[in-house]
Amino acid sequence: MEEPRIGVYVCWCGTNISKTVDVEQVTAAVSKLPHVIIARNYKYMCSDPGQDLILKDIREHQLNRVVVSACSPRIHELTFRKVLVNAGLNPYLFEMANIREQVSWVHDDRDIATGKATSLVKAAIQRVAHHEPLEKRRVDIHPATLIIGGGITGLTAAMEIADSGNQVHLIEKSGRLGGMVSLLHQTHPHLTAGNELIQPLIDKAQPHPKVRVWLNSQIEEVTGYVGNFRARIRSGEEVEELDCGNIIVATGTKPFDPSQIPEYGYGMLPGVITSLEFEEMLRKGKIVTKDGESPCDIAIIHCVGSRNMEYHPYCSRVCCTTALKFANQIRAALPDAGIYQLYADMRSFGKGCEEFYMRTSRRGVIFMMFDQKGKLPVVKPNNTGGRGRLLISTRELLSGEEIEIPADLVILMVASEAREDARETAHLTGISLCGNQFFIEKHPKLDPVATTTDGVFIAGSCQGPKDIADSVSQARAAAARVLASILCGSVEVEVTTAVVNDKVCCGCQTCISVCPYHAIHFDEEKRVSEVNEILCKGCGTCGSACPTGAIHARHFTDDQILSQIEGLLSPITLKAMEMAMED
Amino acid sequence: MEPNTKNHKPKLKLAVYWAAACGGCCVSVLDVHEKLYQVTELADLVFWPIALDIKYKDVEALPHGFIDVTLFNGAIRNSENQYMAMLLREKSKIMVAYGSCAHLGGIPGLANFSNREAIFDRVYHTSESTVNSTGTIPLPNVEVPEGTLHIPVFFDEVKPLDKVVCVDYYLPGCPPQTERLLEVFTAIATGAELPSKKSVIGAWDKTQCDECERKKSDKKTIKRFFRPFEVEDDGETCFLEQGILCMGPATRGGCGYRCIKGNAPCRGCYGPPPDVHDPGAKMMSAIGTMIDSNAPEEISEIVDQIADPAGTFYRFSLPASIIRRRIS
Repeated sequence: MEEPRIGVYVCWCGTNISKTVDVEQVTAAVSKLPHVIIARNYKYMCSDPGQDLILKDIREHQLNRVVVSACSPRIHELTFRKVLVNAGLNPYLFEMANIREQVSWVHDDRDIATGKATSLVKAAIQRVAHHEPLEKRRVDIHPATLIIGGGITGLTAAMEIADSGNQVHLIEKSGRLGGMVSLLHQTHPHLTAGNELIQPLIDKAQPHPKVRVWLNSQIEEVTGYVGNFRARIRSGEEVEELDCGNIIVATGTKPFDPSQIPEYGYGMLPGVITSLEFEEMLRKGKIVTKDGESPCDIAIIHCVGSRNMEYHPYCSRVCCTTALKFANQIRAALPDAGIYQLYADMRSFGKGCEEFYMRTSRRGVIFMMFDQKGKLPVVKPNNTGGRGRLLISTRELLSGEEIEIPADLVILMVASEAREDARETAHLTGISLCGNQFFIEKHPKLDPVATTTDGVFIAGSCQGPKDIADSVSQARAAAARVLASILCGSVEVEVTTAVVNDKVCCGCQTCISVCPYHAIHFDEEKRVSEVNEILCKGCGTCGSACPTGAIHARHFTDDQILSQIEGLLSPITLKAMEMAMED
Repeated sequence: MEPNTKNHKPKLKLAVYWAAACGGCCVSVLDVHEKLYQVTELADLVFWPIALDIKYKDVEALPHGFIDVTLFNGAIRNSENQYMAMLLREKSKIMVAYGSCAHLGGIPGLANFSNREAIFDRVYHTSESTVNSTGTIPLPNVEVPEGTLHIPVFFDEVKPLDKVVCVDYYLPGCPPQTERLLEVFTAIATGAELPSKKSVIGAWDKTQCDECERKKSDKKTIKRFFRPFEVEDDGETCFLEQGILCMGPATRGGCGYRCIKGNAPCRGCYGPPPDVHDPGAKMMSAIGTMIDSNAPEEISEIVDQIADPAGTFYRFSLPASIIRRRIS
């Protein structure tokens, strides 16, 4: 192997890193290490001037290895690998040390943070010296696409792909297409009917020659890899296998069950209903109480299960504007009814939505704020004989007064939450879940519909609560990604796979059963194990199971990892750890 | 008359030394039996304490590089071992770490799970057979009326040979197979091309399973570990597939898988194949994937059935492994 000539670049990330880590000290500490030719720090390494700095140094100093110490490699590893490619180097001769998420964002003490950052950079330097160039490979793309979920997202993506002349298999678990949108009477802020949006799509998809709709169907197993997946689908008793090149997961969300919140009395008090039950009432054309009477007062409670650490910490994004839409629909149907919005924070973001809020507030709707972090409003039967069958007691936050609101109907704006089968779907398709059980995208900003499994895309509210416009945008984005790969005909696959050294493999077969991708088989003739490098995802399980050292996980070899550990546990690190212990 | 250069080739000067070892390696040299005559035809044994009465001072008097090949067996346990390793290195052209102890630390290396203080306490104070009412322990220097007595310093840690001197070749085994020794010796004596320095000789790159004829499948699932006496070996199936720990997959071939042929699982004396830094860790990692359970409690119950895991997985290799020794 050529003598390593390493360039090290420490990023300030503006003040994100530099406020906690002494970047000058880190740079100085690593600049004298063996093989380090140049060490610099710069305000934003990912910026064009930052990237140019590396490019120029590679050329001027004949660098053959690069370490960037900045944010998570999940965000910018690809950015910097491209710099190496532009400079004529193999992109795998690069290593990133994460001193933002793993250091500056989690430490306060500048000395400890600087010591830890230095150790991580040292580890990266020691590791990169052992990196080997790896060559990209390509596989052909099967032109069919599997779309899971027949809601507006799945349908939109299906039509986009099918209209371009490519086969789509649209798998729907329930017995009908249309998903959540077909349950909505009208949509905000333009008050377009849900049906008006979804029905034309359904009518177009069902007879489409390039769309095969599978109702009451579920995925049982997905095998294969980008461009060449095989899915086993069950419809009732029947099971069929089909091939596809890409998969779009658009399984949506489900409404939160408000009976978990005792304060609201859902399920106990007949006048308390969910937002989706109210949609159904609107679709049926009449706003009535359980007894069939026209309600005099209607209260709408926001953030039911959302933005509440006991239920879901996140904002469900569509409820505020839906609640405003309800107020408009109620006002149109019942001109004299009292309408009360009990909100925690009015979040009417999005195009036309703030204007919608302004218009609604001029229609005799009373807005009252409650403390979502304090005591929730309490709904109880009204036994006083006065106005309203129900009474809601709450402390109005702006006035600070304890008040009671009469209501005949209470609408709970329930949160949007991950489906109960999200984990299973994620497991089948190789997607990761976030803490709230929503699917995780490959990059939150730069790659929002891809996942860490090549060829598997996510769109719509299965990724997180979303309105129709955002879901449709994602559907079209995912379709564009799929069409691009079909058009390309082949796709680059990961090269950090496992490889068997048949001069060392003893044929013990320990590796075969541990492979989660069924990528290893035993060659009876040669008496050695062999890895199918396209099925292999480079997880490394076989490498750690192999007792002979015959299996190398490319880019994660023992030499690379052990040198990284050595770098990490060098005296600077130990000093930082001691300092941390003393605290 | 032209001199016959072949006949006039000077004989090799060979030394065999025994450091912290059981003596088995020296006996394995004797195991060449009548072939010893072939050896002595090609080589003069200039130093071999087990067989020849040659003193250290005689070795000290030799010129540098006088010895062609030293077969050094045994680990470095005390200052005498270390001194002799350094002395023989200076006097030898080729230094061979002969046998498991010189190669990886071997059985004496298991003492690295303890330390000098604990070993002395056990041996000189607490062992059931010790009678030591004065509490005497060996000291390197002791004053007596006649002067000072010196004995070697007992180190805190056992080291393989290459941690104290530069080693040219490793000939593994506990002890090395005599056939392998003869092959290597003949290669050196006849001037055949030798493998690159620092390499393991007299052993294969592939591990035991490659030669082992027991039936193997990919069904290596273990629900229960058995010690060899606890189960009736069917004589045909891979030991691991019967729940018996066998170090074969992580151990170089070359011994002719003699233990396994004798229906005993491999203990790992031939050491790890190339590219394996830590055979104990490698084997534990492999065994970890074979345990047939996903329930943490059941997994620990199964793991607890492994008698003496440290001594099993690191039986011959502790001082050369990554963990190397107990820290405190």
